[in-house]
Amino acid sequence: MNISYDWLKEYLDLTIPPEELSQYFDQIGLMVESRKEVDGDTVYEIETYANRPDTLGHLGVARELATLLGLPLKTHFWPLNELAQPTSDLIDIQVLDNQLCPRYCGLVVKGLTVGPSPDWLKRRMEAIGLRSINNVVDISNYVCFSLGQPLHTFDLGLLREARIVVRRARKGEKIHTLEGQLIELTPDMLVIADGSQPVALAGIIGGEESGITEKTTDVFIESANFDPVSIRLTAKKLGLATDASYRFERGVDINAAPLGATMAASLLCQFGGKASRGLLDIYPNQKKAKSVPLRLKRITELLGIEIPEEFLARTLTALGLKLTEQRAGVWVTEIPSFRVDLEREADLIEEIARFFGYNQIPSEVTPARSFELPASQEQERLWFLKEILFHSGLDEVINFSFADPEKEKIWQTGYQPIELRNPISSRASTLRTSLLPGLVENAVWNYNRESEGVHIFETGKIYFWEEEGKQQEELHLGLLTSGLRDRKTWNEPARETDYFFLKGAVEELFSYLGYDATVFEPKDFSFFQTGQSAKILIKNEPVGYLGLLKPEIRQAYELEKLTFACELNLAVLFDRQPRTFIFTPVPKYPGTVRDLSFLIEARVCFQEIYRQLKKLNVPYLERFEMYDRFEGDSLPDKLVSLSVRFYFRHEFRTLQAEEIDRAMLDIISQLKSALKIQLR
Amino acid sequence: MNSLPEKIKKYRQLFNDLASKIKDKKDLEELRQAFLGRKKGYLTLLFEELKHLSPEEKKAAGSILNNFKEEVQASLSKLEQKYPMPRAEKTLFDLTLPGRKTYWGAPHPLTLFQRKIEKIFISMGFSVEEGPEIETDYYNFEALNFPPYHPARDSWDTLYINDKLLLRTHTSPVQIRVMEKKKPPIRIIIPGKVFRRETSDPTHLPMFHQVEGLVVDQGITFAHLKGTLEYFIKALFGEKIKLRFRPSFFPFTEPSAEVDIECIACHGKNSQCRVCGGTGWKEILGAGLVDPQVFKNVNIDPEKYSGWAFGLGIDRTAMLAYEIPEIRYFYENDLRFLRQFIRR
Repeated sequence: MNISYDWLKEYLDLTIPPEELSQYFDQIGLMVESRKEVDGDTVYEIETYANRPDTLGHLGVARELATLLGLPLKTHFWPLNELAQPTSDLIDIQVLDNQLCPRYCGLVVKGLTVGPSPDWLKRRMEAIGLRSINNVVDISNYVCFSLGQPLHTFDLGLLREARIVVRRARKGEKIHTLEGQLIELTPDMLVIADGSQPVALAGIIGGEESGITEKTTDVFIESANFDPVSIRLTAKKLGLATDASYRFERGVDINAAPLGATMAASLLCQFGGKASRGLLDIYPNQKKAKSVPLRLKRITELLGIEIPEEFLARTLTALGLKLTEQRAGVWVTEIPSFRVDLEREADLIEEIARFFGYNQIPSEVTPARSFELPASQEQERLWFLKEILFHSGLDEVINFSFADPEKEKIWQTGYQPIELRNPISSRASTLRTSLLPGLVENAVWNYNRESEGVHIFETGKIYFWEEEGKQQEELHLGLLTSGLRDRKTWNEPARETDYFFLKGAVEELFSYLGYDATVFEPKDFSFFQTGQSAKILIKNEPVGYLGLLKPEIRQAYELEKLTFACELNLAVLFDRQPRTFIFTPVPKYPGTVRDLSFLIEARVCFQEIYRQLKKLNVPYLERFEMYDRFEGDSLPDKLVSLSVRFYFRHEFRTLQAEEIDRAMLDIISQLKSALKIQLR
Repeated sequence: MNSLPEKIKKYRQLFNDLASKIKDKKDLEELRQAFLGRKKGYLTLLFEELKHLSPEEKKAAGSILNNFKEEVQASLSKLEQKYPMPRAEKTLFDLTLPGRKTYWGAPHPLTLFQRKIEKIFISMGFSVEEGPEIETDYYNFEALNFPPYHPARDSWDTLYINDKLLLRTHTSPVQIRVMEKKKPPIRIIIPGKVFRRETSDPTHLPMFHQVEGLVVDQGITFAHLKGTLEYFIKALFGEKIKLRFRPSFFPFTEPSAEVDIECIACHGKNSQCRVCGGTGWKEILGAGLVDPQVFKNVNIDPEKYSGWAFGLGIDRTAMLAYEIPEIRYFYENDLRFLRQFIRR
């Protein structure tokens, strides 16, 4: 909302210089977004709020300043140069829908001359950023931006009959707007019609055919009040937003309508016109003023400070409230009709705080009567998970939750995607069903910008229809590794990433988070290369997958380098109780190490060998690890050589060599029968 | 074959000859090697010869040889004082070559900043709550006192899934979900993703991050809101930061406020400032006392309890703190941007 300094002076004897006024506006919440000089005037662009239609006119803003500065608000008298004829002889007005049009006022002005506006009016228009059109249109805007009451002026001679009917549109009716648009109307829309056809879209925009022209001499001024919801629905539906609809949507002062018509008519009389006698005012269901009680102790209870009663009375009165009762501790206030936002005690307390000054209220520590245990540890676990991944050398990314349905098709994630009804673009019209497409986009972005390797992760939700009408969102972790892990340095060679880097990172993650018994089971997925991916399970429950992205996906994204990716369902993972940590005593006696190398059929996967090793029933065996593996020419076909190191220890003494020899023989015999190993 | 004493005599002469010609520590080292070198030193070779002698001969000759060795060592020590030797045998490396580096992953700046905020509130006894990103109209608007079809909804331009479901436009619906489940006292913060139907520009995107705070208890006042937020902002931006509270409007708080901090870029000294537009102030959060209607919607008695709430955009505040000019940098995920935050 543009507010002119000179215009405010019509209502206030301002002595504060224009450049200093900004801070006063800010102080009461009328935030000044910019200030500029226009033809010797100062114009403030002020942020207004959806609940304060009274600040959409200079009078309302002047009232705010008057309250803050303790200045009187000037009132104006609008004399009319009257015709002998009463208004009702010149025009017949019927309001058929009192719900959507609770009040309708009008006056006729005859014999005026349409022409350029006088300089003072032109300056007002320019100040608020409007183009001066002619004296009649400008007057209408001047009243609107003074009182916040939108007006519409019809050329009386262009109405098919001297009749105004306020009714709902009929099916199939159309109207050409003042902006030259042809609009099809529906029965939920309120129109202003003459005897036969709509001549204006009520409260939004006028029709072209009855608009003011250079030839206009007689006009009908409409100053009405319309239902906010109806105006909003119609304006939204038609994609129209006008100064009028903006005000009516927010709720115009029901008692401003008579003044709006009179003020406009009075000003039009200055251009040679004469006004009809007697304002037409159709207001069948008069609204009673709202009465709101105020308990003085509540002010202190909510604001944390005592405010003098004298200040309360002065402020509320200056804002236009009447103090109808002032009993001990409880006041009853009558709310002026222009303050549509004031309905409850809390609303009054806000007004008091606003004018007392937020910065005058003390600052205190919020007391705590009790501390509760955190309801969820999820945030902490998520942060720990991220820290583990940072240590593995993965950078964190955050992608949009939106997805391109065309690109998601290539992935075939198997989830039913959730579509947006009003997306920003067709390429972001569904919600993602996997984190991997975003990570691939990140890889491509970085390869195109000097990167030689991309190793990233993201935690975030994926979204899908679990079944018809039942949406689901799930916290996932996505990981991607591609290209060089390390550049060559003077003492280290360059390293390409591989499957085992990513698998290692995932294994470390599970281990540090306290999840044991993770299984990687070879399995094909739609987006991984056949035979190059695995399903990840914890205690038989699937938690994710890991593999080499298939070439078709890399082609679709123009990603050249081999890329490995993994996605884990954190919702499932975090649902599982991790093993509780308890310390293990540090051994007192030295352990012994023995190595064993053996040949085994290549088709036996390591996970199976590991499982058998874990099952070994051998005394003193503390742990084991595989430290070498090779296959090749020197070995018989389809056999691999594995070397495993076994660690033995006794809790209370040093082990004898013979005991370990026996244990090793035991291991060999058990492995021979379980895995058919051959010793080298 | 010469007898041992003769050989010693000859070597002593040789040693003295060479010793007299020494000019630097390199010559000295050569002399040492010539006599005491582990494989071919004259003395080493002489000791080798002892192997072939009988035990009695060995004892006598060994004693003579040892005397000579001590003599040579003593002379060398004297010479060393003149030509000092380096401690180590040899300089194997250029010590200024770069060391081995460990590659650590970098946290996303928004994670980092959210974490900073969480820590401040956790230290004040708040706990962290979360809620769904796909919300119903009821939780996102109605329960928060947005009447249907009210223009107040315009400031929260919404991405809809269908008539019932939408992407939450703020983290405030989680306030409702928590208050429905739990009775006061409540002392929580709610971080998370939020969505608006906004076209991208340097400060707007259709998705960003917010953190919401909520306190509900008996006797909570506006003064408590001010005190807590002042502490929070100082903890985040430093003790010297100037801030102000301004009246504002949110349907779910009454009174409502916005908090501005002084412009970190220009401190109000540049009328053309790109960050604050010359006003010297930068809005960072919205706040207020919980509207009594919101309490009624969750069956909390507004006569018995009061509360305060605030909401802050994590992205925009991080932009201020790290002087990042454009919000989209956060979502491009350019490693040259992200990896800087390892040095947080």
